[in-house]
Amino acid sequence: MSTTIEIDQDLKDTARRAVELARTHGATEASATAGRMREVEVQWRDGRLEKVSEATTRGLSLQLYLDGRYSSVSTSDLRPEALDRFIADGLAMTRALARDEHRRLPDAELYAGRAALDLSIEDPRQGQLSAEERQRFARELEEGARSADTTGAILSVTTGFGDLFRESYRVTSNGFEGGARGTQFVASAEVSVQDPDGRRPEESDSGFARFFEDLPAANVLGRRAGERALGRIGATKGESAVLPMAVDHKVSGRLVSMLLGSMSGASIQQKRSFLEGREGEKVGSDLLTLKDEPHVKRGLGSRLFDGEGIAARELTLFEQGVLRSYFIDSYYGRKLQRRPTTSSPSNLAWTLGTKARAGLLEDLRDGILVTGFLGGNSSAVTGDFSLGVQGFRVRGGQLAEPVSEMNISGNQLDLWKRLVAVGADPYPFSSARTPSLVFEGVQFAGR
Amino acid sequence: MTRSDLMGEALADSTAGAGGPVASIGYFSRFGITEGLIRETLAAALSRGGDYCDLFFQHRVSTAMGLEDGVVSRASSQVELGVGVRVIKGDQTGYAYTEDLTRDAMRSAARTAAAIADGPSRTAPQHFHVFKDVPKRYVLQTNWDAVRPERKLPLLERLNAAAFKADGRVSKVTVSFSDEHGAILVADSTGRLVEDVQPMTSLYLSCVAEQNGKREQNAYGVAGRSGMEFYGEERLDRIVREAVGRTTILFESSQPPAGEMPVVLAAGSSGILLHEAIGHGMEADFNRKGTSIYADKINKPIAHPFVNIVDDGTNEYARGAINVDDEGNVPDKTMLVENGVLTTFLHDSISARHYKVKPTGNGRRESYRHAPLPRMRSTYMLPGPHKSEEIIASVKKGIYCSNFTNGQVNIGAGDFTFYVKNGYLIEDGKLTRPIKDVNIIGNGPKVLEQVDMVADDLVIDEGGWTCGKDGQGVPVSQGIPTVRVASITVGGRNA
Repeated sequence: MSTTIEIDQDLKDTARRAVELARTHGATEASATAGRMREVEVQWRDGRLEKVSEATTRGLSLQLYLDGRYSSVSTSDLRPEALDRFIADGLAMTRALARDEHRRLPDAELYAGRAALDLSIEDPRQGQLSAEERQRFARELEEGARSADTTGAILSVTTGFGDLFRESYRVTSNGFEGGARGTQFVASAEVSVQDPDGRRPEESDSGFARFFEDLPAANVLGRRAGERALGRIGATKGESAVLPMAVDHKVSGRLVSMLLGSMSGASIQQKRSFLEGREGEKVGSDLLTLKDEPHVKRGLGSRLFDGEGIAARELTLFEQGVLRSYFIDSYYGRKLQRRPTTSSPSNLAWTLGTKARAGLLEDLRDGILVTGFLGGNSSAVTGDFSLGVQGFRVRGGQLAEPVSEMNISGNQLDLWKRLVAVGADPYPFSSARTPSLVFEGVQFAGR
Repeated sequence: MTRSDLMGEALADSTAGAGGPVASIGYFSRFGITEGLIRETLAAALSRGGDYCDLFFQHRVSTAMGLEDGVVSRASSQVELGVGVRVIKGDQTGYAYTEDLTRDAMRSAARTAAAIADGPSRTAPQHFHVFKDVPKRYVLQTNWDAVRPERKLPLLERLNAAAFKADGRVSKVTVSFSDEHGAILVADSTGRLVEDVQPMTSLYLSCVAEQNGKREQNAYGVAGRSGMEFYGEERLDRIVREAVGRTTILFESSQPPAGEMPVVLAAGSSGILLHEAIGHGMEADFNRKGTSIYADKINKPIAHPFVNIVDDGTNEYARGAINVDDEGNVPDKTMLVENGVLTTFLHDSISARHYKVKPTGNGRRESYRHAPLPRMRSTYMLPGPHKSEEIIASVKKGIYCSNFTNGQVNIGAGDFTFYVKNGYLIEDGKLTRPIKDVNIIGNGPKVLEQVDMVADDLVIDEGGWTCGKDGQGVPVSQGIPTVRVASITVGGRNA
């Protein structure tokens, strides 16, 4: 087991004391997570500082079990007398509930097998960043964005830089103890431009990483945001048609999250999922091969154990279109009489194709590249979806005019069978790491 | 189709709850702070010469209960206590918060926020006055922190049983119930102290139904700044009727055809159109930055003269009602569009200073962890000259939309969407086949011009809407009479 992570002694004490207090007040079982976070954010707009914010917080969350009765409580009020009363109140609430035999801590055997790895998710640089460095990054983001503008179309540029450190420690009354520490950095540039027709379209780009050095250079990121925004000028509503659709890797995660949203133990057991009962069935094309990988170095979703303390393991989700597993936590595992997998995704890993976006568009020839989604929804139980989109018309394998104010609609069981190409370009700034995706025969609504 | 009238029921609640004087909230004891501590913190916040600063203390206890498979199998409770310190210098903001209300922690947060300015220190107020004229738009019979879980449990169980009884096709039911007792205190550099208690409750009933091997799911929810008395017989019956009816009709429903067509929006939650098409674009921060599509449209006609749109904080007991905003300003009824003409933006104190106008009471924040922003409250359209029957009869081929799940907008481009969960096709002036699951997309100013009929049947929706902006969620309400939009793009299939 990895013992290299040194967790703050106060957090350990708080979590252990909370579990003890819960037991003293009558809980049969309890788990507690104590955490603290420090975050700093600067926002820069049109040549000067717009906003600086900074915070340090600590908090405690507790799961209380009392003979099949269950509640979860959390507080930021850690004054000793308040904490004691808070736990007593939590148990009083728990006592009033009905019994549910499935409400217990995870079986202790699920804690076993935790990998002894250094996930490299904490950058020591975070504690050393100065206010000047953060502001300089934000300023350079703006300069990058403005460097893309040769016609004076840019109306306003808002950029931001933020970083945070988070540390937590979890203790359960049936033997689990574990801590995690990590850092995150985020840089973003939002650019608003004047369209001759009176609209003021905006576009943004952002980077998100565990290590400062993994962020893109400020001028590169800023310039890309500027180019994206300028590219929106003159967007029009395309015609309603059935067309091939490429989805840029920056936004393709939206489609994947609709799919994953129907794979939780709760949605399976509650029969609210179009994927219920389809394990082992082919629900997508051969190209839909997807795993959950918790141990990626520097990964945004990397972890050694999940929110319940279950040891993290690689999980195959789809194999050549065949559904292999769901995200089952210990409560729904008991209800479904199945072994839990894990409560939620960590980092996703696709079996990638060989071409990045440009190559995919060449193969696509005639269709639409989607670069942004707007609103919309998907019915978890039927898989019917309808989403607002914007992007570009693709003609002869090249980007043509920008399009906006369009919709796509269909059913997910049909859509994923229409997946005809997977890019070589996983999006690095999200734990979903989704590449560009291409689907054939998608219904677009427009003019 | 809903014809629930939130305002009528809220007024009935008001009569019941308005007995006797409101006891002092007693903030100093609640937060364990003193006037001296406030003065010291404000002094630290002004130590580098900000123009203005405020402290936002908040104590909020929220609880939630969930029923599934016939059992109330989860409950949760959350206590939040903290103070946010904001320093303003021109349009610039310094912000810090702490959950540790000790002298040292508050002073440290104040110094952090102070760093936005860079000048000689300014003097903190020596005397404070409590603002007494806080309206009373939500007076409860009993505050939520005094309602025992034993009183709430039977409510969830009753709804569960009623939903199964209502239709044999119902196969799974979940009920989510939540309540909140919150207290805030705003102290600012002018020496003003403003306090408020902010209750909230919501209930959400969701059903899965099965028919011939097919499944459908839908839900109905209600919310308001009300107490236990909110859950009267009539409302409970309606929750069950709506949740079950909206689910089972989906078996006969399909996605409508795709493309541009006339759309009739039912009275009530269709107000989501106003929230997305105009409300966000009228928030003054986007206009101050010149990034809203409405930035240069004040005093210009943008709709037919019978279109009047307000953003209102004063609807008693509504989810979007507030006695004071999160900067301590008393909100009013703000006309956004008057006789088709765009009138005013929605302001917080920064934008009000920028535009040299009075704040409209739209400075809202999710909690002490966030600086306030201009945000909507209850956004609705006033009644118009037409009749709903006349509007439906006027459409040869189009759709009628009655229930919605969500919406979104790109402020600058003006493109917005809302998602229709239930509705009907309109063929030759009559509602025919039921439709479902379709996203509608339009452009704000273009769609407002296209609102060419407005009925006299305004309904403010009683649902639990939450508006997201800059990562902050705040409770809002919305409403509209039956309206016709002459042409808008409907998602749908088979162009």
